[in-house]
Amino acid sequence: MASQSSLAYLRPYRRILLAGVVLLLATNLCYLGVAQYLRHSVDLLRAGRTNEIGSSVALLVMFAVATAITRILSRVWIFNAARAAEYDLRSDLFGHMMTMSPAYYRDHPTGDVMSRLTNDVQTVRAMWGAGLVHLANSVTAFATVMTYMLLLDPVVALLAIIPYPLIFFVGQALSMRVYRTTREVQAELGSLSAHIQEDLGAIQVIKTYGLEDVRREGFLEGSKRLLDKNMAAAKVRIQLGPILNTLAPMGVAILILVGGRAVIHGDISVGAYVAYSALLSRLVWPTLTLGFMLALVQRGRASWARLVQLQETKSDIVEGSGAALPDSDVPAAIEVKHLTIKIGERPLLDDVSFVLPPGSITAVVGRTGSGKTTLVEALCRLIEVPPKTIFIDGRDVTDVPLASLRDALGYAPQEAFLFSTTIADNIAMGYGGGTAIPAARRAELERAGAAAHAPDLSNEPQVNEAAKAAGLARDIAMMPEGLATVVGERGITLSGGQRQRVALARALASARRFLVLDDSLSSVDAETEKVILANLRNVMTGRTAVLISHRVAAIKDADQILVLDQGKIVERGTHDELIESGGVYSELYRTQLDTELEIVREAG
Amino acid sequence: MAVAAPPRKSGLEAEQVLGKAYDVRLIRRLAKYVQPHSHLLRAWVLFVCIDLAFDLAQPYWVMYVLNHHILRGNLDMLPWDALVYLGLIVGMNVATYIQSTLLQLAGQRTMHDLRIAIFDHVLAQRTAFFDRIPVGRLMTRMTNDIESLNEIFAQGAITIVVDALKAVVIVCIMLSIDVQLSLMTLATLPLLFILVEYARRAMRKSFRQIRVRLAAMNAFAQEHLFGIRVVQLLGRSETAKREYNEINAGHRDAYLLQIRADAAMYALVEAIGYIATGLIVWWVAGHRVEDAATIAVVVGFIEYINKFFIPIRDLSAKYAVMQGAMAASERIFQLLDTDEPDGGLPRETTKADEPGATSAAAPAVELAGVHFSYGAEPVLRGVDLRVPRGSTVAVVGATGSGKSTVIKLLTRLYERERGAIKVDGVDVRDLSLHELRRRITVVSQDVTLFAGTLADNIALGKAYDRARLEDAVRRVGLDRALVRRGADIHAQVAERGANFSAGERQLVAFARALLRDPEILVLDEATAHVDPEAEELIERGVQILMKGRTTLVIAHRLSTIRNSDLIVVMDKGQVVEQGTHDELVAKGGLYAALEKTFRRAD
Repeated sequence: MASQSSLAYLRPYRRILLAGVVLLLATNLCYLGVAQYLRHSVDLLRAGRTNEIGSSVALLVMFAVATAITRILSRVWIFNAARAAEYDLRSDLFGHMMTMSPAYYRDHPTGDVMSRLTNDVQTVRAMWGAGLVHLANSVTAFATVMTYMLLLDPVVALLAIIPYPLIFFVGQALSMRVYRTTREVQAELGSLSAHIQEDLGAIQVIKTYGLEDVRREGFLEGSKRLLDKNMAAAKVRIQLGPILNTLAPMGVAILILVGGRAVIHGDISVGAYVAYSALLSRLVWPTLTLGFMLALVQRGRASWARLVQLQETKSDIVEGSGAALPDSDVPAAIEVKHLTIKIGERPLLDDVSFVLPPGSITAVVGRTGSGKTTLVEALCRLIEVPPKTIFIDGRDVTDVPLASLRDALGYAPQEAFLFSTTIADNIAMGYGGGTAIPAARRAELERAGAAAHAPDLSNEPQVNEAAKAAGLARDIAMMPEGLATVVGERGITLSGGQRQRVALARALASARRFLVLDDSLSSVDAETEKVILANLRNVMTGRTAVLISHRVAAIKDADQILVLDQGKIVERGTHDELIESGGVYSELYRTQLDTELEIVREAG
Repeated sequence: MAVAAPPRKSGLEAEQVLGKAYDVRLIRRLAKYVQPHSHLLRAWVLFVCIDLAFDLAQPYWVMYVLNHHILRGNLDMLPWDALVYLGLIVGMNVATYIQSTLLQLAGQRTMHDLRIAIFDHVLAQRTAFFDRIPVGRLMTRMTNDIESLNEIFAQGAITIVVDALKAVVIVCIMLSIDVQLSLMTLATLPLLFILVEYARRAMRKSFRQIRVRLAAMNAFAQEHLFGIRVVQLLGRSETAKREYNEINAGHRDAYLLQIRADAAMYALVEAIGYIATGLIVWWVAGHRVEDAATIAVVVGFIEYINKFFIPIRDLSAKYAVMQGAMAASERIFQLLDTDEPDGGLPRETTKADEPGATSAAAPAVELAGVHFSYGAEPVLRGVDLRVPRGSTVAVVGATGSGKSTVIKLLTRLYERERGAIKVDGVDVRDLSLHELRRRITVVSQDVTLFAGTLADNIALGKAYDRARLEDAVRRVGLDRALVRRGADIHAQVAERGANFSAGERQLVAFARALLRDPEILVLDEATAHVDPEAEELIERGVQILMKGRTTLVIAHRLSTIRNSDLIVVMDKGQVVEQGTHDELVAKGGLYAALEKTFRRAD
């Protein structure tokens, strides 16, 4: 979608669209047949040649049937092509959004992106489908009707169509206002959404401080502003119809004046007068839809601009251009050299250097905001890093293709994110298997032939091993459907600890050479964590591992501990060494009561 | 009359329930919100009638002019004829403009009211409601769903009623002109009826699929955007796109039937109109004397037939709009029906609120045998806790020991399952929420700031004069933090307070609490570590805040713990030890072991 015009999406369907437009022309030509035989029939009636009327009416009916057939085909073809182009657009947009870095989503609320993916895509499709149908229909209707009238009697015809050019200019002027007011409505809707989001996110504060009335006041104002903008936009839209509708029938008034005179003088027949009248009233509808279509196109343009904006934002993480990492299961060797990452002027990581020997376990500790998460995100390239700062097996990670890098590593975040599908699917995603389409959906799509069958993965050895290593065996045994249990909104609700362990199992299935645990057992109770960690020792053999934890039990056996403070590594060594030296690590000890209680309980 | 609500359906099923284009139950409920603006609707009806009169007079006039002037060679009248016709057009369009504006105004005002109603409803729900229903969904109800409901007014779907009226009037006019020709025209009605019925059924079927697949597609996209980190870490971008496109294709194909039905309906209704015209001419030829009047009648019928068929032809487009609007209103009313109100009656003062109801001898806060669980996970298992008036009680315990839950139950963000919670000797359930939350102020570790000015954020909707605001700011030490960033209390706060540091936000929360001057202060001490200077400010701020006040503090700092009158140690949802610092050290339990590690670290 590099192109600025949305028409590029219609290009693949240009043949069928052209055929549709040609058929619309045919429809309008067939209508001329209807008008022609109406004229003829009335003239026959007027002349008293009633015995010939039968065949004339029969021809009229034939043409009428032909208009129906051509119109059905043209609409079906054009609308289906618009749906097909909509499919392409959605596919491109969604694919693009999947490549955007997490940093992008920190600044752009998911709600806004979703609104573009749904509302704006629909508006653009309406511009393509209904917009094109109406445009082609209006243009061909005008062209055919005017040609016919000109052939019948140039003078009457020219006078009768005087108002129509005026219609075009007025319509155009108004449509610009439709565009502007529509954008204003969309902006107001966005700020109201932001207000709602703020309130719903702060619901506990609003309740405990009794802020309902104050916040309601703000919402009321926002809603009123939206009402005003909506009314302003509606007024422009409402004007469009009556203005066009006043201009268009002027032709009929002129016809009464000029055409009536011509009939009386015998210049045109009564049949021609009737046909004119029918033709002109037939032009009223295309005129009206012209206004509607202009509004549609303007709305579509506003939405398209929002989609282009989405598409033009490129991920700040640059794809590595070098060769993929060799396919191996050897633990990765990681080295970080003078890594500095800043947001604006504030350094999140400040000249950090360390080595993770293959197969070692490294713990990273530090206060909230010391840069731990930034560090592990940098290791996984979830945030962009400067070149020549992080090396895997001696190669600069910015040079390694993202897919290849991520194939080698597994990452379990603190906020365990699971897809609304089965536990087995969620775990299998670690090694590229599984499906994120919920089973009920998939079944419905399968019946319609839209999706392939997805196998049940609950007996896969890889899935079962990972689940066991993450300490899920007992929980799963207690679920009636075991690994095939569906999680999320439509399934069962897992506890925070269970979710974290499913995410851990997925990371384990994913980590072929390198494992990162970002405080990923924080919601798991201490006893279970101990069991998991004991297990992990075995599982992690053959993988290089980095873990962030607030629990001493989890970190004290690590091969090395890195202590971060304000983005710098201030201490490094083993647990005993660091306690001995009495620095930040031991101070963290003193202040972190939670940690202490764990230890005390463990000791007692 | 109360209509029994249908059994609530959940999950997939709920999406498959197809909103009818006209659901009497929903329309009746919607009417309640339109009611306050019925004066606009009454005016609208008036102008619709005027509109219709001008509209339908036009063919009659054309017919009249043809019969009396053109076909009878009356040249002089033609300019007047054209002028009258213009007058009819202008009159009609003025009326159209007025009636459309009135309808829009009624619609927009109704939507505004409905939006406020949803907002009020949502804010009155208990906290557990928000744990269950995602924020995004609630937002959709108040924005997108309202907008699609408004399409009833905006896209003129409500004019289906007007169209029906128009059809009836046209038939009456035609009957008054010529009964036989009218009956001939009406003979096409069964055909039309069959056609409309076919289209309606096809669309119903199509819409059911569209709705399910659109929901599936959006849910899939939402989930993947939300979990973008996981998607990328698993290298799943391509797989995600492939799976998305499977649903995307299903969605596209679901429209096939609808497009076909819509096209058939549109084209065939149009053609039937033409054929009816032809048949009339044919019939007239066989049965009538050819004269000016007959020709004029034929022309008039052609015009009326045109006006009669256009609304029917556009029925399918309006049907789609109605369908979408009804589905939206169903979702909105479903939300309004999900009522889990915050306990008690927040606005109403109860007897227990009165100062006389409190007993001076009772502790400020008392918990006895309190049980609570989130879902199946028990969090509190019989907690006993007393905070005597004027004292400071510190609660310590590991993550997940239930400390924060105690606060949530005390302020009734959640409802206890068993046991008793009393404030000043009165059960918290007997107090009005308003009174309860006036007496207790919670300072949480995660401070929420709203977009606006700093002063607004400190005052939180109450009107304090500037001097009092500044006094509070100074006393908690926020002024020093503000000086550091070269700002004052009118500084702008970004959304979610993103431009304020954790330490500054803490101080703002202290200033808020100081101004509210509560009888009972509940402090959830922040674990987030800030720079030493801010640390010092916060420590001083806490002391000022706690001075001479009953305080329950969830403590994370040794200094706070040592300064408190009573220390309560919680573990796994129970109080396992309590006493003063010295008592607990002497006892040699959990706290003592803890204390030992502190000293070793010192």
